[in-house]
Amino acid sequence: MWIDWRRFVVILALGAGAGLAWNAFSGRGFALTRSVLAQAGDELVRAQEARVLLDRGALFLDARPRDFWRMSRIPGSLPLPEDDFDRSFPPLEPALRRARAVVVYCSGYGCEASLVVARKLREHGIDAAVLDEGLPAWEDAKLPLDREPKP
Amino acid sequence: MAPLRSRGVQLVLRVLLGGFFVYASVDKILDPAAFARVVYQWQVVGPLYSNLVAVTLPWVELLAGALLVLGVWKRESALVIALLLSVFLGAAASVLARGIDVENCGCTSLARSEATAPGWPPSWARGVGWFLVSRDLLMLGAAALLASTDDRRRAAAERHAATPAV
Repeated sequence: MWIDWRRFVVILALGAGAGLAWNAFSGRGFALTRSVLAQAGDELVRAQEARVLLDRGALFLDARPRDFWRMSRIPGSLPLPEDDFDRSFPPLEPALRRARAVVVYCSGYGCEASLVVARKLREHGIDAAVLDEGLPAWEDAKLPLDREPKP
Repeated sequence: MAPLRSRGVQLVLRVLLGGFFVYASVDKILDPAAFARVVYQWQVVGPLYSNLVAVTLPWVELLAGALLVLGVWKRESALVIALLLSVFLGAAASVLARGIDVENCGCTSLARSEATAPGWPPSWARGVGWFLVSRDLLMLGAAALLASTDDRRRAAAERHAATPAV
């Protein structure tokens, strides 16, 4: 079996080059150096900065479905699921307005829930930052998790 | 294996497989950012490499698919498609092993379920599951067959067979 490996590489390189050029010049492209989920106005904090905020008494919100929060969470965080925002927000509102800082997180760079919740909070006049790349980034930085099951 | 390497079967496989890849690339090329969102959901290579994948992968699919349909660099373009399918299968195995829920695999269409007719295409045909794995395995078989068939040698063999023995 005989394959011309130069042609094989040319197909891959030409395809990739065309894609990069299309992204840069077609007007349909996006910035490669940041998450496409983040928009202007979103405030992202890295795990270590979030840790500092937590130590200073920031209020953390878990934007994942409530069952995930019940299993494990960033210590002291409260559940404010994206899909249940309208019901979950009112009881939390006083605490959120008192908090010196609010940080929202969800399950990773693939989830948009923390960004959506932070935007909704901003519409209510509450400033909220988002944990960049979510819980996996927190765990990768060896930061503490509360794994005690909640009812 | 000989009938599978016949001219007619090779032509049909080329057009079907290459055509599928051309078709699959269009939606992704028209909206790279929407495709990037889908790649994020697979949670395989992190956000920045996902961006690179989202921008370059559709054009490799388009180029390799088009070359295969045209029969230009047939074996090499089939091999590129086989490589892509192997990567897809590996990523699907990783998604299934980690129990990640990918609502739309982004294989061909980027539409969100609420944007299309409810229930169509059905979720088993959209997400990452047995349907995607069996379809990709089937296409991988076709790609391997195309990549391993040397048309010139087959043509020579046919001429040889057609020549009456002296």
